[in-house]
Amino acid sequence: MSKPKSSDYKESEVDKVNAAVAMADKKYFRENYLPKQREFLERSFNQESGLMSMGEGRAQADTMQALTQNPNRRAVGAVDAQADLASAASAQQLQGTAQGLVGARSDQIAGIKSANQMASQTAAGLSQASKIATTDTLNKAKAKQTRNSALIGAATKLGVQAGRNYSQYRAAESVNTQEVDKPEAEQNLIPMTENAGLFKIVTGRGLG
Amino acid sequence: MSLYNNMRSRQDYAGGLQNVQDPDKAFAGMLRQDYNDYIANFRQYENQLLGMTDDTTLIDRSRENAEKQAEIAAGVQSRNLERYGGGGLSGAQLQEQQRSAQRGNQLSLAGTVNNARVQQREMNQALLQELIGVGQGVNARALEGLGTAAQGAVARRGAYKQAKANYSSQMTNMGASILAAFLI
Repeated sequence: MSKPKSSDYKESEVDKVNAAVAMADKKYFRENYLPKQREFLERSFNQESGLMSMGEGRAQADTMQALTQNPNRRAVGAVDAQADLASAASAQQLQGTAQGLVGARSDQIAGIKSANQMASQTAAGLSQASKIATTDTLNKAKAKQTRNSALIGAATKLGVQAGRNYSQYRAAESVNTQEVDKPEAEQNLIPMTENAGLFKIVTGRGLG
Repeated sequence: MSLYNNMRSRQDYAGGLQNVQDPDKAFAGMLRQDYNDYIANFRQYENQLLGMTDDTTLIDRSRENAEKQAEIAAGVQSRNLERYGGGGLSGAQLQEQQRSAQRGNQLSLAGTVNNARVQQREMNQALLQELIGVGQGVNARALEGLGTAAQGAVARRGAYKQAKANYSSQMTNMGASILAAFLI
């Protein structure tokens, strides 16, 4: 059984390429796509008025083309010609303005949605990172606990053995005290160091 | 095979990429930067859009436009009258034409502004609806993030408590075993 080597736990070639490609893609996105995303949103807000003006301009041109292309005597003499023109042009202008504004809003919403989607991806990434970090913390704690358990287990074994050695030494002492009272030929003394120190006793070197 | 051979790159682009030393750290840094980028670049526009639910651009512009169109129509009429030498209209007819134009302009202004109000409301409601959808996404991801954080915290706390209990139990067990061995 050999000691674990850090090289056994190093990232594989696939891991390396995966991380490197992901990092490069992210850099490319930041440098090329992120500015476009911002530009799109910026434009959608800055060009709102321009879009409305464009819609109004077209509406104006269409209205005037339709209603003033034939300025005959009858039209000039009609009582309501001027009012009709103003009314039609206003209504068309409104449609033009509305179309421009709807276009601008649509772009603005699309831009915000897209940015929000990016924020969602960041949040999902953070969740994943948090899970990874928690798993890492728990794994570290578990490894520490395993080491502690092994140390406590070893200490328990040593302590129990020390206790047994101590008990056996005391038992041998007691037996020898009784054997001493017997005639020498009948004595069956257990070999032991008399008045051994505690270290000798608990390490089992007091006997034998 | 032959088709791919034509497309196959002879250059190892992936091999030239910079190695990522600590992907975990790099990931954390990247996410932090992403959030900062979002706030710096997009939050202002998000707030701007959120403030547009009571927008009156269409109403304001349509009022201005209606007045402008009345002026334009008056100009057209005046030029046409000049072109046709008054169009053979009497003073009374011209006066009536003026009165009719004034009434029409007022009606046109009121009608246009009223229509603009209706359309503006529709647009604001549509925007509100879109924003609610976006908001629900924001809320969902916030809850998901907090859920993950809470889950992690509970797991860590649980593991800590378990570790303490294990340690205490192992120490008690050790003490009891050693004591028992001494007392045999």
